Order: sequence, then C-alpha cells, then structure tokens
Amino acid sequence: MESGLTMATWLWLLVPMPLVVIISVVSWLRHEQREAGR
Amino acid sequence: MTNTTLITFIIYLVAMLGIGVYAYRVTANLSDYILGGRRLGPGVAALSAGASDMSGWLLLGLPGAVFAAGMNQIWIAVGLTIGAFLNWWYVAGRLRIYTEVAADSLTLPDFLENRFHDRSRLLRVISALVILVFFTFYTSSGLVAGAKLFEASFEMSYTSALWVGAIVIISYTFLGGFLAVSWTDFVQGLLMFLALIAVPVVTMMEVGGWDAVTQEAAAINPGFLDAFHDMTLLGIVSLMAWGLGYFGQPHILARFMALRSAGDVPKARVIGMGWMVLSLYGAIFTGFVGVAYLHGEVGDSEQVFIVLSNVLFHPVISGILLAAILAAVMSTIDSQLLVSSSAITEDFYKQLFRREASETELVWVGRLAVLGIALLAIWMASNPDRSVLDLVSYAWAGFGAAFGPIILLSLTWERLSRNGALAGILVGAATVVVWAELSGGLFDVYEILPGFLFCGLTAVVVSLFGGEVSPEVRAEFARVRSEFDRAR
Repeated sequence: MESGLTMATWLWLLVPMPLVVIISVVSWLRHEQREAGR
Repeated sequence: MTNTTLITFIIYLVAMLGIGVYAYRVTANLSDYILGGRRLGPGVAALSAGASDMSGWLLLGLPGAVFAAGMNQIWIAVGLTIGAFLNWWYVAGRLRIYTEVAADSLTLPDFLENRFHDRSRLLRVISALVILVFFTFYTSSGLVAGAKLFEASFEMSYTSALWVGAIVIISYTFLGGFLAVSWTDFVQGLLMFLALIAVPVVTMMEVGGWDAVTQEAAAINPGFLDAFHDMTLLGIVSLMAWGLGYFGQPHILARFMALRSAGDVPKARVIGMGWMVLSLYGAIFTGFVGVAYLHGEVGDSEQVFIVLSNVLFHPVISGILLAAILAAVMSTIDSQLLVSSSAITEDFYKQLFRREASETELVWVGRLAVLGIALLAIWMASNPDRSVLDLVSYAWAGFGAAFGPIILLSLTWERLSRNGALAGILVGAATVVVWAELSGGLFDVYEILPGFLFCGLTAVVVSLFGGEVSPEVRAEFARVRSEFDRAR
C-alpha cells in the first residue's frame, strides 16, 4: 500500500506556491534598492 | 460548547464592534465610507484583501473538499495562488494610479465610466447591475457558512443560526465604513492565519506524526494521497481556472484602489502572498489530517475544521478558533455589502436619480441598500443543502468573467473602447449564467474559463472595429503608464 503522498503531489504542492512568494520577496528587495538609490 | 468558549467568542465579537465604532467616528464623508480616503498601509491592504477574498471557503470549503476527496483538491489552491500573484503583479499598482487619474474614481463602475469618458452612463449602470446580482449570491454563500458555524457550535436549528449570524454581521457592517472593514479584516486575517496553522499541527501531533496521517488516509482511500487521482486534464484546468477570477473581484480590487500609494505594492504583495500561501497550506492540511483523525467520518465534511477545534483544544482556544471562522465569514460579507451598497448609492441613486443628494442622505441610502441585499441573501441561503463552494463558485465566475479581462485590458491596452468593454462584460456575464445551467462534455468545465475567454475576445474584436481612441483617454493612459514605471 502507498504510504506517503506521491512525488507528483509533493511537486505541485511545494513548487508553484512558494515560488510566487520568492518572486514577490525578490521584486520587493529590488524595489527597496531602487528607492534607496534615488 | 462550554461557557468559556462562549465568553471568548463574545469577547471577540465585542472587540470587532469596538474597531467598527472607532472607525465610524473617523469617517467623515462618503468617500471615506467607500474607500477610506485612500490611506491604507501595505500590511492592512494585503491582509484585508486576503481575508475578504477567502471567505468561509478557506476554513470550511477547502478543508471540507480535501477531507471528502483528498489531495486531488489542491489544484484550486495552486490556481488561486498564481491568480492572486498575477493580480498583485499586473493590476494592483496600475489600478491604484489609474483610478486616481481617471477623475478620482471611487467604485469599479465609476472607474470604467471615467476610464472611457463614457457620457451615456451605460457602462456604469450595467457594471453596477452585474455587481449587485453576483454579490447577492456571494453574500448568500457567506451567510450559509456563518449559519453552519452557529448551528454546529451553539446547537441551534439552521434557520435560527442563519438569522443570528446575519444580524451580527449586518449590525457590524452598519457601523462599518471602509476603514472599519479594512481594520477588522486585518485582525481577522491574522486570526485566520493562526487558526489555520494551529489546527493541522495539533491534529497531526495527536494522530502520531505525518507518517501516521498518510497511513491512516491511505487505509481509508489510497487515492487520497495522489493529486491526480480521479482527475482528468479538464478537471485540473477547471480547478486551476479559479485563479482567473481575481482580476474581476470588486471587493479585492477596492483594496488596491485604497492603497496609500502604488509604491506600497511590492511590500504589500510579499505580505499578501506569504499570508495566502501559508493559509492555503493550513486549510489543505486541516482537511487531510482531519481524514486521519476522524477516520474519514464527519456529518458534513465542511465542518471538519469546527469539529477538530471543538475536540482538540482547550475551550478558550476553541472559542478563538471558532471566532476565526466567523472572522473569515464576516470579513468577506462586510466588504461585499459595502461594495454593493456603494454601487447602489454612488452608481444608481446619486448618478441617476439625485445628483444633489447630501452626504447624510447618501449614507442612509447605502445603509438601506445593505439591509435590502442582506435580506435577499438570507432568503437565498435558507436552503442549507447548497454547499458553500457551489454558491461561491457561481459568484466568483460571474465577476471573474465579466470584469476580469476588462480590468486587465483597460489597464494595459490603450485601444480598449467603451463599446468593447460593454460588450465584453455582457458576453462574460451571460456565458457564466448560461454555462452553469448546462452539463456534459465541455459544459462541465468551470464556467469562468469560457466566460473569461469570450469576454476578452469580444472586448478586443469590438474595440479593433471601433474608431480611434480620444486624445483625452490617450493622455490619461500615457500618464498612468509613466507614473507606474516610476512607482515600481
């Protein structure tokens, strides 16, 4: 019997959602850098 | 429910009303009432957008769906996350700037009219009508969620529960105004977040760890462990298509319009997306560990969060967790009632009937409108068999398909014309209404997908066949573009 989530399930669960948070953080840091440079 | 839980619950309600009263005192005019004078900071804007977006669905609908069908329900969460992110990325900053440049627009119909310099009032009236129709369904779904909470927690009949819940929410919204709604939504967002982390973690520890959870879930149905179990490609696309809805939700877009400045968007986006992703994980895992703890058995799967809160926690904590559901429900209903009320007050009453109406008169018309819409929604919610997700999905699709492509195009494509926007809204809304009534084959696809596509296509084609864009519209569009480039 299967005893854990399938690999594909983990992949879809753990890649796209955290990825958008990471992109948001990076773009915010770049924004702050630009603001500081002005 | 114990007395301790009840007292905690009541303290929470009084605290929310306290915030409402305070905000009521600092609200001076209709503009403050509808948009809070555009002075929301990034934290309040992000969390209140998230809280009013998610509604009872986050604590009842999604855990219930995972509890009943397993991990194949994650697609909706993935789609929503991507949609919300794109909304923050493409819409938030531009809409904040454009609504101010376009005659300081306060509502979405107001913005559409001013964006296209539409003198006929047609665009305003049609879009306000779409808002009223679909928000009545949406508010009704919130009331079902509130009634289920009261029914399960206070052992009331569904009907009495529906009325008690509605009276609490309506009185609170009466005091409301946009600032009250946003501040309470901020607190409510925090509460929902904590609840969605605490419940699955404690339940998992109670079951005996992650391995025990998956083994128990697999024993009940091995398919619960697989996101692709029983799913067709069309099914997955349908669930992910929920994300398309974000671009057209008036109560969420209002938070963007109320931001202090477009320069706050990058920070708000981090807070908003961080909150959303962790909360969605919490909701998914609440349903999943609930399967293991309750051995897949609970009267109504949408009550899995409520049952776990009651069984596993100290009465004080349990009261706070139950309050979190009410928070989720209230934060959505108050925002929706406010948007509906502003559509009636600003877009119908003031623009069509009484241009000379005083501020006090307008606020009272708005309040009566809140009552009217609420009563209609209560009547619609009186059938408890309709699941929260069914009602939400209809309204979500309606807004997403009618407004989504129009908002995106109006912010990014100069040539979108008034006729294009009008035709798109009508085609999008009609597609959703008709598609939802049909079934079989392609008609099983979630109606937002065809609605969104047909709306966008219609808007583009009609605009391309129309005349040139007026110099005023072109100048405003260019100004928004340059301000946006400076702000990001």
